[in-house]
Amino acid sequence: MSSEPIVHETKRGESAPRAGHSEFRTVIRHLLRNRGAVIGLIIIGLFTLAALFAPILAPHDPTETSLTNRLRPADAEHWMGTDELGRDLLSRMLYGSRISLGIGLISVAIGTGLGVPLGAVSGYLGGRFDIVVQRFIDIMIAFPGILLAIVIVTVLGVGVENVMIATGIASVPIYARLVRGSVLAAKEQSYVTAARAAGIGHASIIFRHILPNCLAPIIVQSTFQIATSILWAAGLGFLGLGAQAPTPEWGAILSNGRDYIRSAHHLTTYPGLAILCMVLGFNLVGDGLRDALDPKMR
Amino acid sequence: MGRTINVWSRLGVWALVSLIAVGTVFAGGGAEEPAEERDTLTIAIGAEPESLDPVNMTSAPAATVSEHVVERMIYMEEDGSLTPMIATSWEANADSTVWTFEIRQGVTFHDGEPLNAAAVKANLDRFIDPEVGAAYAFLLGTVVSIDAIGEHTLQLTLSQPFAPILAHLSHSFIGIVSPAQIEGLGPEDTFDIPIGTGPYRMTEWSRGERITLEVNEDFYGNVPAIPNVVFNFIPESSALLVALETGEADAIMRVPPQDIARLEDDPNLEVVFAESVRTIYIGFNNMREPFNDPLVRRALNHAIDKQAIVDGLFDGVFTVADAPIVPAVFGHASVGPYEYDPERARELLAEAGFPDGLSMTFHHPTGRYLLDATVAEAVQDMLGEVGVEVTLETREWSSYLDFTSQPPDQAEYDAFMLGWGTVTLDADYGLYALLHSRQWNPNGNNRGFYRNERVDALLDEARVETDRVRREELYAEAIQNIWDDSPWIYLYNQGQINANHVDVEGLIHHPLENLSAWDAFFSE
Amino acid sequence: MYQYIVRRLFLTIPVVLGVSIIVFSIIRMLPGDPARALAGVQATPEFIEQTRVRYGLDQPLHIQYGRFMAGLVTGDLGTSTFSRRPVTTEIAERFPRTLTLASISLLIATILGVSAGIVSATKRNSWFDNASMLVALVGVAAPVFWMALMLQLLFSVHLRWLPATGMGSVAHLILPSITLGMASAALMARITRSSMLDVLKQDFITTARSKGLAERIVVYKHALKNALIPVVTVLGLQFGILLGGAVLTETVFAWPGVGRLLVDAILRRDYPVVQGTVMLLAFLFVIINLTVDVIYAFLDPRIHYQGKEEG
Repeated sequence: MSSEPIVHETKRGESAPRAGHSEFRTVIRHLLRNRGAVIGLIIIGLFTLAALFAPILAPHDPTETSLTNRLRPADAEHWMGTDELGRDLLSRMLYGSRISLGIGLISVAIGTGLGVPLGAVSGYLGGRFDIVVQRFIDIMIAFPGILLAIVIVTVLGVGVENVMIATGIASVPIYARLVRGSVLAAKEQSYVTAARAAGIGHASIIFRHILPNCLAPIIVQSTFQIATSILWAAGLGFLGLGAQAPTPEWGAILSNGRDYIRSAHHLTTYPGLAILCMVLGFNLVGDGLRDALDPKMR
Repeated sequence: MGRTINVWSRLGVWALVSLIAVGTVFAGGGAEEPAEERDTLTIAIGAEPESLDPVNMTSAPAATVSEHVVERMIYMEEDGSLTPMIATSWEANADSTVWTFEIRQGVTFHDGEPLNAAAVKANLDRFIDPEVGAAYAFLLGTVVSIDAIGEHTLQLTLSQPFAPILAHLSHSFIGIVSPAQIEGLGPEDTFDIPIGTGPYRMTEWSRGERITLEVNEDFYGNVPAIPNVVFNFIPESSALLVALETGEADAIMRVPPQDIARLEDDPNLEVVFAESVRTIYIGFNNMREPFNDPLVRRALNHAIDKQAIVDGLFDGVFTVADAPIVPAVFGHASVGPYEYDPERARELLAEAGFPDGLSMTFHHPTGRYLLDATVAEAVQDMLGEVGVEVTLETREWSSYLDFTSQPPDQAEYDAFMLGWGTVTLDADYGLYALLHSRQWNPNGNNRGFYRNERVDALLDEARVETDRVRREELYAEAIQNIWDDSPWIYLYNQGQINANHVDVEGLIHHPLENLSAWDAFFSE
Repeated sequence: MYQYIVRRLFLTIPVVLGVSIIVFSIIRMLPGDPARALAGVQATPEFIEQTRVRYGLDQPLHIQYGRFMAGLVTGDLGTSTFSRRPVTTEIAERFPRTLTLASISLLIATILGVSAGIVSATKRNSWFDNASMLVALVGVAAPVFWMALMLQLLFSVHLRWLPATGMGSVAHLILPSITLGMASAALMARITRSSMLDVLKQDFITTARSKGLAERIVVYKHALKNALIPVVTVLGLQFGILLGGAVLTETVFAWPGVGRLLVDAILRRDYPVVQGTVMLLAFLFVIINLTVDVIYAFLDPRIHYQGKEEG
C-alpha cells in the first residue's frame, strides 16, 4: 500500500486554461478515450451503486449474527460466506463500501476545504503570512505517510468520524502546497495583473479569477487523495484505531479475519480485494484526468 | 557521471540476481529442518510479559515465564495441593495468626547469593511496601510483619487469622529473587532479568521478540532434561499456528478454537485441553441506573444464550458458568445457569419499567481472553434481540484495567467484561476480591460496586474460619445470594487449549494457565 | 549553492521545533489528566502526584515545554508506563530493526522499480511494459497489510518456504521487506518510466541517435543520467515513508521495531513511548528530506537557488 499521497506529476507553474463548457466536454472526451480511466470510472460507478443501494442489494442484515453459521464458505445463501459471528459477508461488504467511499469523500472535503484556501491566500499574499504558512505546512509534512493520521487519531480517539477528520487533516498540507504553487504561477499572469489594476479586491481575485484556473491539479490530486484516504482509513481500521465493531469497515473486517486466515480465508481475501479495486479505480481515473486536463498530453 | 551510473546499474542487476539467489537458498533451507541435536524447546506465547519483576507483574504470560526462573515459597500442584518450594515446612500458632516457615538450606540464587530467611524477608518487604505499590500487594494484605528469626527461619505475623494465606504465598507473582538484585532499589526502580533459584536461569530478553533460558545445573531438585528453553512472543494467533505447524515452535498456548480440528488432523501435533480456573463474566455497574435494579440484571442474564456461545465460538470445549467461580475451586457450589429465555428477559425488563428496552455501553478487552471481542459482539447482538441496544467499546488491556478501576463516583461504565482466575483455588480469592463491598474500586477488584450485607458477613466469616466443612457451607450460602442478585452476567468457564508437537513430552499444562517445561523431554 | 544549503539547514530548525510542539501537545490535548496518562495503569494517587512533579505538569506551559525540550536534547524521554523502562532504551533496542527493514525494502524497491521503469520506457508498449505497469498500478493500490497476509499465506503456510513472523535470519527479512517495499517499487517504476520517456523525447537524445550511437549507449549513458534525477528525489521521500509504513508491516509480521512499538503504545495508552517514537520518526524524516534536498542541489546544477524555496 502506498501510504503516501501519490506524487502528482503536475508540475508547478502549469496552469490549465479555465474550464468552460466546451473545455469540460473536451476533457470528458479525452478521459473517455483513455482505457484505464474508463475502467476506473466503471469500478467507481459500481462501488457507488453498491454504496447507494446497499440496503436493497444486501441479502441480509449486516450485523445480524448466527452462531451456528460461523465461518461458512460461500454458498447459495451467502455468496461470500459468513464471518466469525455468522454474519453475511456480502452484506457487510456492501455496507462497507458506504463507509470507505464516505471516508474518501469527506476526508477530501476536509482537506480541500482547509488546504485550498490556506494555500491560495498564502501564495497570493506572500510575505510574512506566506512564510508562516509554509513553515506550518513543513511541520505537518514532517510526519511521514500515515503517521500524522495516527497521531491525530491518538488524540481524537477511535471511530469512523475521527478517521475522516484525521485523514482529512493529514491531507491539508498536500493541498496547501499544491495550490500555493499554482497560485504563485497564476499571480504573474496578465489577467491577474489586469484585474488588480482594475481595482478588484483580493478575495475576489483569489476566488473568482485565480482558483478556477488552478482547478485542474486540485481535481487530479483529489482523485488520488480519495484513494489514499481509503487506504489510510483501512490501515487505521486494521491497526484497531479506526472503525469499531460491529461497523462493517473493510479494514476492520480484514483485521478480524486475520485470526481465521487458515479456516476461513474469505474473510481476508474479499475485503482486501475490495480495497484494492476501489483504490485502483480512483488511481486510474486520476491518471486519466491528469492526462486529459493537461493540454500537452492531448 | 555517465560512467558511474553505468556501473551503478550493473551493480543493480548483480544485487537483484544475488537477492533472488539468497532468497532461493533460504527458501530451500527453510523447507527441510536439518537433523541436529535437539537441545532447545521453543514455546510460542501470544503476549510479551510486561515485566518479570515480581512487584510489576500482572499477567499470565509473565507468570509462565517467571516460574521457570524464580520460585515462590510454596508451590501449588495441578490438583491444588500445596507443596514445598523455597519453604520446606511451615506451621501456625493456635489462632493461625503467626506462621513460621523453614527456608530451604544449601540453595543459592543464580548469581551465587545464598538463599536464607533474610533474602525472603527482603523480597516480601518489598512486595508489600506501599511506596513500591505492587499491583498484587493485596495478596499479603493481612501480613503485618515479616521477621527472620533464624538463618533459615522466617515468621509472618498476620493481623487476623486468614485461612488461604498459604495458597496466597503460592501465587506466581510473589517470587523470591536474589537479595543483591533488589538491594538499593528505589520504590520506582525495577530490573529486566530476574535472578532466582529456579530450574532455569534467564540469559536474554530481546524485547518484542523472545526470552531465552538455560538450565540451572545447580538446581536443588531434578535438573531439567532440556538445556535451553525459548519463549517467543507472537501476538497474531494465525502466526502462532503457523509457527507450530512449521516447527518454529514446539508448543504454543491459546490455540484459537476454530483451528482445533485442523491441528488434531495433523499426526505430528497434539492439542491439549486443560482445565483453567478462569470464569468469564460481564460485570454491571451496580450503582448506575438502570443496573442498580436486580430485575434488569436478571433480565440480561436470561437474554444471553451461553450455550450457543460455548458451542458456536468455542467448539463446545468450555462450560457454561454455574457459579461465580469454577468447580475446581474449593468452596464452589453449583447454582446456575440462568436459562436462556428472551421472552422472560423482555418480561423482566418491562416489569422493571423498560417495556421498550434500553441502551447501554459495554466495555470489553480485545485479545486478552480467547475470542473476547467476538464474544462481546455476540452478546451485543443477543441483547439487541430483547431490545437492549449495546454500544461496544474496547481498550487495550492495561488501559482497560485502568478504566474499570475507577472509584464509584468516577466510574464511567455500564458494564465490562472480565475473566477472573481464582488462582489460589480457594473461593476467597474469587468471591472476596470481586464481590465484597470492602473491595470496591479503588480498594480492590469489586469493579461493579456490588454490595450485599449478608454476602459481606458470610465472606468475612469464611476467611477467618479454619474448619473446612463450615467454610464450604458459608461459601455455598454466599454463592446462592450472589447468584440471585446477579451483579454479573455469568458467561462461561474458560479452559485452556494448548498444542505441542507429539515428540515433546512432560509439559505441565497447569490450571493456573502456566505452561511449565522443567519436566519436559524430547521423545525419540 | 552552499548558500542554499545553509539556508535549507536554517529552515529545518523551525520545523523540528514545530514537530516537538506537536508531540509535546499530544498528551496535553487528551481528555483527562496528563499526569494520569503519563503515570499509567496501576498508578496510585501518590504516584500520579509524583509524576506530575517529575514532568513538571504543575508548572506553567512554557516551562513544561522547556523541560520537555531539555529532555529531548539529553535523551530523557521519560519512562514507559507499561514496562517501567526508560523510553530511550525501548526505542534504542527496536530502532535498528526498523532501520534494517526500511533500508532493505528501499534497496529492493529501487532495484526492482528502476530496472522495470527503464525496460518499460525503452520497450514502450511491449508486453513487458504493459505487464509491469499493471503490476505497478496494483502495487500502489493494494493495502500493504493485506498483501502481507496473502504473501504469508502463500510462502509460509502453503509453500513453507519462508518464516511467517519474527526475526533472526535473512529469511525472516524477505517477506516483510518485499511487502513494505512493494508500493515504493511500483511508484519508482512509474516515475522512472515517465521520466525516461520524457528524456528520450528530448533533443540531445535525438542528436545522439542521429550521430549513430548504439541505442544501449544512448539509453544508459545519456538518458538515464538525466532521467534518474526525479527518482533520487523520490528515493529520499520513500525512505521516510517506508519508516512510517513500517507501522503496518511490522504489525503483520510481528517485527519488533519502532512501528510496532508505536502501535502497541497507542493501544496501551503508553504516552511517553508514543511521544518518543513519533518524535523519532518525524525527526528522521526531516533529516532525510534535508539530505535529499542537499543531494539534489549537487545533482541538478540547472536549478537556480537564489530566491527559490526548497526543491
